[in-house]
Amino acid sequence: MTTRNQAADAVAPLAQVSRRRFVKTALWGTGAVLALAGGSFAILRRSPLDDVSKPASLVHLSAPEYHLFNRAIEVLLPIDDGGLTPVDQVPVMANIDHTMGLVDPAVREDIRIGLALFDNAAVVAGLHGRRFVDLDRVDAIAYFDSWSRGNVLQKALQTVVKKFVYVSYWRDPATWPPVEFDGPVSDRWGIAYLGNAPLPDESTSDTASGEARA
Amino acid sequence: MQRIVRVPQDGVPVTEARDVAADPSMGRKFSIKTDVVVVGSGAGGSVVAYEMAKAGKSVLVLESGKYYPSAEFTEHLGDTIHEVYRDQAGQANSTADVLFIEGNCVGGSTVIGACVMHRLNPSVWQDWADNHGLKDLAPDKIAPYTKIVDRWLNVHVNEAHEINATAHKVIQGCERMGFSWRPVERNVKKCALTGHCLAGCPSDRKMSALVTHLPWAAAYGARLFADTHVTRVLERGGRAVGVEAVIRDPKTGSIVSDLRVDAEVVVLAAGAIHTPLIMQRSQLADRSGRIGNGMAVQPFVQVLSTFKEPVYGFRGALTGVQVDEFQDTDGYFFISGLAEPEQLMAVGEQKAGDAHIEFMKSYNRMAGINAFSLDEGSGSVVWEGGLTDGRKVIKWNPSRKEFKDIVRTTALASRILFSAGAERVWLPTFEKMHADSVFDLDDKLRSVDYGINGLYTFRMNTFSPHGSARMGVDPYESVVSPDGEMHDVSGLYVADASLFPTPVAAGPQWATQVFAKYVSDRILARGSNHFLG
Repeated sequence: MTTRNQAADAVAPLAQVSRRRFVKTALWGTGAVLALAGGSFAILRRSPLDDVSKPASLVHLSAPEYHLFNRAIEVLLPIDDGGLTPVDQVPVMANIDHTMGLVDPAVREDIRIGLALFDNAAVVAGLHGRRFVDLDRVDAIAYFDSWSRGNVLQKALQTVVKKFVYVSYWRDPATWPPVEFDGPVSDRWGIAYLGNAPLPDESTSDTASGEARA
Repeated sequence: MQRIVRVPQDGVPVTEARDVAADPSMGRKFSIKTDVVVVGSGAGGSVVAYEMAKAGKSVLVLESGKYYPSAEFTEHLGDTIHEVYRDQAGQANSTADVLFIEGNCVGGSTVIGACVMHRLNPSVWQDWADNHGLKDLAPDKIAPYTKIVDRWLNVHVNEAHEINATAHKVIQGCERMGFSWRPVERNVKKCALTGHCLAGCPSDRKMSALVTHLPWAAAYGARLFADTHVTRVLERGGRAVGVEAVIRDPKTGSIVSDLRVDAEVVVLAAGAIHTPLIMQRSQLADRSGRIGNGMAVQPFVQVLSTFKEPVYGFRGALTGVQVDEFQDTDGYFFISGLAEPEQLMAVGEQKAGDAHIEFMKSYNRMAGINAFSLDEGSGSVVWEGGLTDGRKVIKWNPSRKEFKDIVRTTALASRILFSAGAERVWLPTFEKMHADSVFDLDDKLRSVDYGINGLYTFRMNTFSPHGSARMGVDPYESVVSPDGEMHDVSGLYVADASLFPTPVAAGPQWATQVFAKYVSDRILARGSNHFLG
């Protein structure tokens, strides 16, 4: 299960950035530009997925966030040639949901704004004309790549999405055997426990006090 | 009469928040009187605690992190990192593009470090003696302290079996480039070569404070509280008289109890970020205006490469060799290392889709170098807001010169890996980028523009902030005196990397422990000023 560290680490870019007034302004500023460009920011373009509910097992993700991460998992982890552990054998979405639940509520709200922006901005950014959740794989990858070359806010947002997805996949031990990572080994190897070190021998003459004051 | 001192076989006696909550005699508010209170139980605080307790002083150590005994380490970074890393490894600068990785547990960063004990070049000590008036830091005077740190913590040069495949690639590259390299010195006893240093050492082979100075201090009677956050230093008439703290439930963050400690001597050893923050919250007199300023961060980037053949660079001792060719001339150093998959994702994997899959499928053919550079020491930490509801702000972004240094260290690390036969080098940039030859490399690196303050250019990290409450002779230029005592507050000492007089090109743990031993001696030498008994 995803732990609090993944939460903090995954959202660190946005969590910190969002506290910065100037970037927060930029966030809203970008939203405003998008709103002018494509109509209302919140409904830049309807998606067929808007009418699809999220799985009941998800506690913290909203339906739009579920759809966004679902699409992100599909395009970021295209594991279909049998070389790596299939995504459907790893609880990636459950891990993301749990991670979201560990995030400070105030930061979570900022993240939600950021995720909505990431989804909606695809309508105008790159002239895709569709939200991120509706992009085909090639366009979705291009969207990620262009945002990795974009402004500070774009870099931060696409980093957040990638971290949520990648950390939630690769933290699972089921993903390690195909890449031959050994995971925990001490028990398997029978490594003996040494315990505390004994008190140092201070009988020798090179004690600092002795020499320093000499 | 001879005193019998017994070190516990394993673990450290620690009072935790749950113990306080369960003890009705402590209640919601209590006080303790002690000779010395030490804030922080890591590299510096643990040493001071031991030295003071051994000298017969009553000692209380206050640690904000939780107690996580070695027996609970699982070698699964994902399971353990949130228990022992500051802000669950999410501590970052104000623009969130530089991670400040730090331990937050009993034993501090010594618990999660890669065992690197990077000694300072004698020329650094000489510079501090000659050019900063710190005569007692001259190499011949500091040498006894360095010998003790080396001997007590089993600091040794990596032996052949501690040089893993990643390190051998680095050696190969250096030999072809004509670069000087040497095995890393580490504080480990009979290393089990698991490669899981960053998740703590479950077999207690790493000579962290958790298995050395803290149990030694406890053997001499020192007491240790975990989950205890010092809010401020108490001062009366220019003299430190104790601290105030809150004990928090580590799971909920709720306050279990308020604690007041009355002490003859206060030692701050909470690290280069949190020591100055405590000073700022305490609103201590500071003629220098340098509390929290002038912080060096020693940024590093992780340069990864893929080879044609399997390398299994993640197996064996995590850190094998360091490249010291540029250490004295440019302030650069490089340490071999390749961590587990999750860590690679956590530092910001930027590839998407097939490119990511291709990248991870080559994991067993990877080798890595951590490329460090010396910065100008222009970082700062600031406490904003009230005592208990405020927040820390860490400010550091690279200057143009520092940015150029990061570009250069990336280029040098890449060249070493190409010289060792790497087919591809994955560049540590926020933009997805790799190079398949040296010529390709130069073009790619030229395309990384400094932009605005170097924001979101390279994926930088730091393990090594220092110099945020510098030592010096002039109270208008430095925060603490050559004895480690705050210029403007008697009885308040600093014993961590905060007091480094200048930025250094070396990991800070070794020097911090040397300084802590040195400051301990100074406290005891001035005992008549501080202690009644």
